[in-house]
Amino acid sequence: MSAVNGSAAAGARRAFRLLIVDDSNIMRRRIERSQQFDELEVVGAASNGVEALELFQRTDPDLVTMDLTMPQMGGIECIERLVQLKPDVRILVISALADKATAIDAMEKGANGFLNKPFTDRQLNEAIAELIRGR
Amino acid sequence: MNLFGVQHARQIVTVGIGLLVAIVMGVVLLVGSRLATQVTVDVGALQTASRLQAYPSILDEQLSALRDRLEERSYAAQALADLKSTTASFNHDLESLGRARLGQSQELTDAMQLWRQYAPVIDPVTSFSGEPYVDTDAGSSFSKAGREHYANVKQAQLFARQNSAELHSLLGSLASRLQRGVTSEASRLRLLLSGGVLAAVLLGIVAAYLQVARARNERAARLAEEQTRDILRTVREGFFLLDADYRIGAVWSHALTRLFGKKSFAGLPFEELLKDLVSPTTLATATKYIKLLWGERAHENLMKSINPLGQLEIHVDNGHGGEDTRFLQFDFHRVTGPKGAVKHVLVSVSDITASVQLARELQESQDNANAQVDMMMGVMRIDPVQLGSFLDATETGLTVVNTILKEPARSDADFRKKLQGMFRELHSIKGEASAINLMTVAHRVHALEDAVEEMKKSSGLTGNDFLPLVVKLDELMAHLKLLRELSSRFTTLRGGTGTGGAARAGAARTGETGRYAVEPGAVRRAEEVSQTLQQLASRLASDHRKKFKLVLKGLADVPAAYAAIVQDVLIQMLRNSAVHGIEAADVRRTHRKDDTGLVRAEFHKKPEGYELTFEDDGGGILPEQLKAAAVRKQLVSQEEADGMDSRAAMALIFRPGFSTQDQVSLDAGRGVGMDVVARTIYGAGGKIGVSTSPGKFTRFKISLPASAATADSAVA
Repeated sequence: MSAVNGSAAAGARRAFRLLIVDDSNIMRRRIERSQQFDELEVVGAASNGVEALELFQRTDPDLVTMDLTMPQMGGIECIERLVQLKPDVRILVISALADKATAIDAMEKGANGFLNKPFTDRQLNEAIAELIRGR
Repeated sequence: MNLFGVQHARQIVTVGIGLLVAIVMGVVLLVGSRLATQVTVDVGALQTASRLQAYPSILDEQLSALRDRLEERSYAAQALADLKSTTASFNHDLESLGRARLGQSQELTDAMQLWRQYAPVIDPVTSFSGEPYVDTDAGSSFSKAGREHYANVKQAQLFARQNSAELHSLLGSLASRLQRGVTSEASRLRLLLSGGVLAAVLLGIVAAYLQVARARNERAARLAEEQTRDILRTVREGFFLLDADYRIGAVWSHALTRLFGKKSFAGLPFEELLKDLVSPTTLATATKYIKLLWGERAHENLMKSINPLGQLEIHVDNGHGGEDTRFLQFDFHRVTGPKGAVKHVLVSVSDITASVQLARELQESQDNANAQVDMMMGVMRIDPVQLGSFLDATETGLTVVNTILKEPARSDADFRKKLQGMFRELHSIKGEASAINLMTVAHRVHALEDAVEEMKKSSGLTGNDFLPLVVKLDELMAHLKLLRELSSRFTTLRGGTGTGGAARAGAARTGETGRYAVEPGAVRRAEEVSQTLQQLASRLASDHRKKFKLVLKGLADVPAAYAAIVQDVLIQMLRNSAVHGIEAADVRRTHRKDDTGLVRAEFHKKPEGYELTFEDDGGGILPEQLKAAAVRKQLVSQEEADGMDSRAAMALIFRPGFSTQDQVSLDAGRGVGMDVVARTIYGAGGKIGVSTSPGKFTRFKISLPASAATADSAVA
């Protein structure tokens, strides 16, 4: 678990704060490095639902990328809790579970977007752009 | 503006115009009626005034008449009565005129004033009631009252004569004044009526226009409705709207009937529509999805990508007692209201069975293409000369099979003989194919062998039973043709070196027989054969989990005429050794033999011809096992077997249909092999012998004459 305290903390707070939730360290770093939005500040990265909840309360992000299959607390349950904490949080599910029922479940719990693993940088950025636009 | 808006505006205009026209008409009627009343009154007054005009002169005349009577002492009572009545009428008419409306009229006031001046002189006349005369014998004379009466009459007559003209003129101007009033009122009334008529005409025109417009609108609406109905009836997709309760709306396309086999859809819950078609899990997912559509969390593209009904496989009764599999595609589009809120969800359903099938066929053809690529890779690995010679030999072999197929046959025995002959040919083709690792051919021939084997088992064969074989054979021929095409393309690609090789091989095959010196192509051919056999050996070793080494000697000495025979024979015997001869490593160890077996083939030139020896250090052949196998296969009876010595038993391996292997594999177990070898050798005028030592070795010795009997016998 890590709360990122980059240069942005010293300067003006950027428009959108992003929390990355994924049990794979490689995937977390991949998402953090591939996103190309100046207005986005990565405020934390969690490797499971429990960590995500704790970090969420500490960092108060606007956007979350969420893995579904994680130890301790899975993504679906985590989405439900996050939406309870902050109803207008926008969540992008990034999962290798490709079946539509899972995607629909996640959306039902409050996710705003769905991206299948593996993904290209372009797909990731498009999905985040959709998330930022809010629709 | 849409149709509804236009209609709404028109309705407002219609009501407005109608109201306006009604008000105008009301005003016209009200004013007209008052005017008409006024006219009636004024006409009455005019009549009265006209009548009054005559009275002054009548009064004057009547007074004169009364005076004349009195002077003549004649009967005067009638004249007086007339006067009274005229006075009363005059009074009455004048008063009624005054009452009517003409109070302000100067003429009437003046006339009434003047008339009032008449009263003091006329009243004493009219009030007379006695007898004016006194009759005597001398005649009649006035009575006292009569004299007075006469004086009054004279005075009244004088007064009337003096004033009659003025009164007449006053009443005349009153009448003409009334006349003018009536005329002006009448013209006003006429104007008003014209206005009313105009308004009525206007109203009529407006009403007619509105009626026409309405009829046009109705026609347009009806046409639009008809078109909508036609679209819904004809369109191939199922269309309907879902409302916020997830129920189907009132309008839906008729294709739904065909797609879902129901007749009525309006008001049907979406869940109900799917219930019988999909699993409960899919239904639950679909229901959740529909709910999500009403929310605005996800944009249309994302919703489209997670649509769980994008390709729904359903099974429907085909009406013939069976089931058809169909694929339906549901598409969902949000229909938003003016404020952007989701009002309905438009659902379109289409039958995509054809395209799904097409996709599957595409996949199949892609698989086929992949198989072809595999085949190509296989072909690429094989030396083109070797492949060319294999294809030549195989085609010849298949021609033989075809010939056998065409041979006339009547009895079951004839058919069986045909099968046996075909089987041998196929078996040797399979051997060669697997020897050069051309597994696509080997598998096809193997399948063909299976079919022949099946037929051999059935009793009472007829010509029709052979039809499936013909089909399979055709397929094999086509495959060979494809191989040849591929081969020639590769040859071209390789820059023509292969063509030279093929030509050389061709020359070698058809070359002169009986030449003793090593031929120019022989060394190269020997290398090819060695390579083929070594490849086969390593495949056999891995397929059958055996370990052995193949040693080949003197193959360069094989004359062109025997090249094919030697290759065929070696392939067959190598397979036999690998499958039957060489034991598994652990078995060999218990016999204190090396783990790796040894298979040797040697070709020698001898003074009287050629000799090919082939031996393996395997388990050897046990005559008792051969006999038992022959009895099991019903090739010989138990008695016959019992009576055989070991030599006769050994000869069983050359019998058609004999095999000790119970499991049929690509390499052995068909019971064909050694009999083909034997037949080939005999055909070429050669001999074959076998010697064996159980647990130690098996050795075949083949002698061939210096010149081959016929080149054809090698493949016949």
